[in-house]
Amino acid sequence: MSLIVDVQARRGDFTVAAAFEAAAGETVALLGPNGAGKTTLVATLAGIDPPASGRVDLDGRSLDDVAAGRHVPPERRPVGVVFQDRLLFPHLSAVENVAFPLRALGVARREARSRATDLLARLDLVERADARPADLSGGEAQRVALARALIREPRLLLLDEPLAALDVRARAHLRGLVRRELIAFAGVRLLVTHDPVEAMSLADRMVLVEDGRVTQIGTPAEVRAGPRTPYAAELVGMNLFIGRLERLEAGAGRLVTSEGAVVVAWPPGIDGSVEPVIGLLRPADVSLHVRPPEGASARNVLAGTVASVSVEGERARVRIDASPPLVAEVTLGSVERLGIREGTRLWASFKAVEVRVQVI
Amino acid sequence: MRRALAGMGSLVLLLAGCGGSGSERSEITVLAAASLTGAFTRIGADFERANPEVTVRFSFGPSDGLATQILEGSPADVFAPASPKYMDQVRSDGPGVTRQVDFARNTLAVIVPSDNPAHITSLADLARPGVKLVLAAVGVPAGDYARGVLENAGIQKEVLANVVSNEEDVKGVVQKVLLGEADAGIVYRTDITPDISTSVRAISISDGVNVIATYPIAVIDGSGHTPVAEAFVRFVTGPGQATLKKFGFLPPS
Amino acid sequence: MGAEKRTTPGAFVVLAIMGIAFVALPLGGLIQRTPWSRAADVLTSDSSLTALRLSIVVATSAAVLSLVLGFPLAWALSRSSFPGRWVVRGLVILPLVMPPVVGGVALLAVFGRRGFLGAPLYDVFGIQLTFTTPAAVLAAAFVSFPLAVLALEAGLRSLDTRLEDAAATLGGSRWYVLRRVTLPMLAPQLAAGLVLCWARALGEFGATITFAGNLQGRTQTLPLAVFERLQTDPEGAIALSLLLVAVSLAVIVALRGRFLAPR
Repeated sequence: MSLIVDVQARRGDFTVAAAFEAAAGETVALLGPNGAGKTTLVATLAGIDPPASGRVDLDGRSLDDVAAGRHVPPERRPVGVVFQDRLLFPHLSAVENVAFPLRALGVARREARSRATDLLARLDLVERADARPADLSGGEAQRVALARALIREPRLLLLDEPLAALDVRARAHLRGLVRRELIAFAGVRLLVTHDPVEAMSLADRMVLVEDGRVTQIGTPAEVRAGPRTPYAAELVGMNLFIGRLERLEAGAGRLVTSEGAVVVAWPPGIDGSVEPVIGLLRPADVSLHVRPPEGASARNVLAGTVASVSVEGERARVRIDASPPLVAEVTLGSVERLGIREGTRLWASFKAVEVRVQVI
Repeated sequence: MRRALAGMGSLVLLLAGCGGSGSERSEITVLAAASLTGAFTRIGADFERANPEVTVRFSFGPSDGLATQILEGSPADVFAPASPKYMDQVRSDGPGVTRQVDFARNTLAVIVPSDNPAHITSLADLARPGVKLVLAAVGVPAGDYARGVLENAGIQKEVLANVVSNEEDVKGVVQKVLLGEADAGIVYRTDITPDISTSVRAISISDGVNVIATYPIAVIDGSGHTPVAEAFVRFVTGPGQATLKKFGFLPPS
Repeated sequence: MGAEKRTTPGAFVVLAIMGIAFVALPLGGLIQRTPWSRAADVLTSDSSLTALRLSIVVATSAAVLSLVLGFPLAWALSRSSFPGRWVVRGLVILPLVMPPVVGGVALLAVFGRRGFLGAPLYDVFGIQLTFTTPAAVLAAAFVSFPLAVLALEAGLRSLDTRLEDAAATLGGSRWYVLRRVTLPMLAPQLAAGLVLCWARALGEFGATITFAGNLQGRTQTLPLAVFERLQTDPEGAIALSLLLVAVSLAVIVALRGRFLAPR
C-alpha cells in the first residue's frame, strides 16, 4: 500500500505544489511554518478541494487525476482525517460521533455502537462515551476524533496538527497514545504539524513545506544532518547562512548573505565564486564575549545585541541581532556569570572552519 | 334645475341663518350601501359643484357593517343603507335619525360571466348540482334579499348547497363573477353597469319571485353638520333622482 | 463610591416600556372589551369552532409547504453563486412587501379559472382551485414563504460548512450528510422558521378572502370569521379575536422562546 502525490493545490490565490511518496506503515510528517500550505494539502488529499493539476494515487488506485478529469469525492475515499479543530458533531455524543462513519455505510445502529464503544475503550474513553463534545476536555475530544477517523479502517490516515490545540501536559500525555495508534495503523500515515518535536518524535520521514513548495524530504536524521533552508535549520536547531561564496585569501572565503558576511574555510573542489551556498554553524560552536576579544584565532567576531534568551534545562539559547543574526548555545552558568540578557551588547565569535559549507 | 337652485338657495339661507361668516368649508360624511357606489359618487360630485364650500366624503360598504360603525360611534352625517332594517337599528340602538325618507328601490338579477361556463339561462339553473354560486353574506342586504328570492322560488335549499363563497358586500359578488371564478352570482340590477356589461351577462328574475329592495336615507342625529346633511338628503330626493334613474334604480314608489 | 455596574440608560428604559405598552395595550383593550358573559357562547358556536379547526389545518399545511419549498431555495441562495442571485432574493421578499390582497389577485391571475396555470387545469382536468381549502393554504403559504426562506438562509449561513466536509471524509454521502448533520444542526432555525410561518399563515386575511373566498367550513379561517362577525356583532368579534391571540400565545409558550435563543 502506498501513497503517491504530485499535485498543485490552490486555495484562493495561494498555490502549493507538492510531490512525495509514502509507503504503508510509514509515518510521514508534513512540516512547515503557518501558511505554508499544509492544510491546503490535507484538504486536497482528503478530497474536499480537488487539486488544480496533478494526481493522487493510493494503493494503485487513482483518487485524483486532473489531466484525465478524475476526482473521487471524499465520501468514497478510504481516507480518515483528524482535523485541526477536531470538528466533532456537536449534536451527537462521543460514541455517536465515532459510530457515524459506520452508520453512513449502512451498518445497523446496535452493531455500529458496539464497535464504536470497543474503539473508545482502546483509547481509554469508555466512561465518556455518552458525553457531548462540548463537555469533553481537549485531550478527550482529540481521542474521539482519532477514533472516528480510524473506525472505518481507512488506508490513509491524515492527522492535521493533532496536538496543536492541547496544553503542554495533555500534549505530552497524548503524544504517547498517538504514537501507539500510529504504529498499530497498517496504512499510510500523514501527520501535518508545525511542531518539530512532534515531527521528529513521530515521523519516519519528513516533508518540509514552505511558501507553497516542498523544500526538503528526508528522515529526521537526514534533515538534522543537512538542513537545506533556514527554516529546516532552525527546526533542527542550527544556524544557517545562505548566500554567495567569494575568495578571500588562501584557504578561506567569504560567505556573503543579505544580512551580513561570515568568513568560512574554503570548501574543496570549488574554483571561483559560486552562488548559492549554505553555511551551517552549530550554536554550541559560538562563543560569547562581553568585551571585544583580542588576539583570538577565530576569524569571525560579530558585534551585536541580545534579542532573546531561552533556557532549556541547563543550556541557554541566545539569539543575537548581528550582521548576520545568529544563535549561540551556552551553559546557564555562563549566562548568569556574564550577565547576559535581552539588550546586552556582546561579541559572538566562531572559527571559519566551524562553518560547514555546502553548495546547493 | 329649479330644484338645484332651490337646494342651493336654501343652503345659503341656512348658512346665513347660522350666523356663519361667508365661505367656511364644510365636510359631510355619507355612509352608503355598496350598491350605491356609482350613483352616489356622481350625486356627490353634482352636490359639490352646486355647493362649492362643501366636500362630501363617502364610505361605501355592506349596510350591516356600516350600521355597526355608526353604533360604535363612527362620525357620520348621512346614512343610506340598502334596507330599512339597518336604518331601524341606527334609530333604536344608535344615535337616532331624522328626516328619514325612502329615495330609491332596486331589484335583483342573476349575473354570469360572459362565456357562461355553467350554461345558466334561468334562476332555476342555479339549483343544478356543481354550479359555483357566489352570494353576499347573510346580514348584508343583498345576501338577505337573494336568499329571499330563492325562498320565493322554492329552491333555496338546493341553491344554497351550491354557494362557494359569501362575500362581504355585493360588489364582491360582482367581482368574483367578473373574474370568471364564479359560475354565477345574485346581485342588484343596478350592479350591472355599462362598463362591465361586456364582461358579464344578466339573467332577469321574474317579478313573481323577485324582491323589491327599498333604500331609505336619513340624517344622523348629533352629527354636527346637520344643515349641510339635510341639504344633501334633499338633493338626493330632488336632483339626484335623475342620476339614480340613469344608474338603473327604480323610483321610491 | 465604588465601581457601578453598567445599567441600561434611563432613556432606553422609558422607550422599552413604551415598546412593551405598544404591544400590551391593544391586547389589554381586547381583554377589557370582551363580553365575558357571552364569550363562551360565541367561542363554542358552530361557526367559531369550524373556523378555528380550519385555521389550524390551513396554517400548519401552509407552514410545512413554505418550509419544504423554501429550504432548497435557501440552500441555493446561501451556498451557490449563480448569476442574478439578487433578483431571486428580491422576488422571494416580494410577498412580504406586497399588500396581501394584491397577493390574492396575483394568485388568481395564475391559479384562477382563467389564470395561465389554472385555465389548462380547468379545461383539461376540470379542477378549479378557487373557493377550496387548498386555495386557502396556497394563499397563506404565499405570504409566509419569504419568512421561511429568510430564516433558513440565515441558519444555513451560520453553519460551519467544515463540519459537512468532515462528514464527507467520514464516508457520508451528500444525502446522508444533509439528513444527519446539516438538518439536525439547523433544528433551531427550522423551528423558528416553522413558528414564524405558522403565525403569519394563521393571521392571513387579504390574500385568502380574495383568492379562496369566504365559506364556512371550507375557506372561512378565523380572521375571516372575525371580519364577518365584525359587521354585525363587534363584541363577539372581539371574543373571537381573543381566541386567535390565545392560540398564538399557546404555541409561543409551548416553544418557550427556544427558537429565539442563540445556538
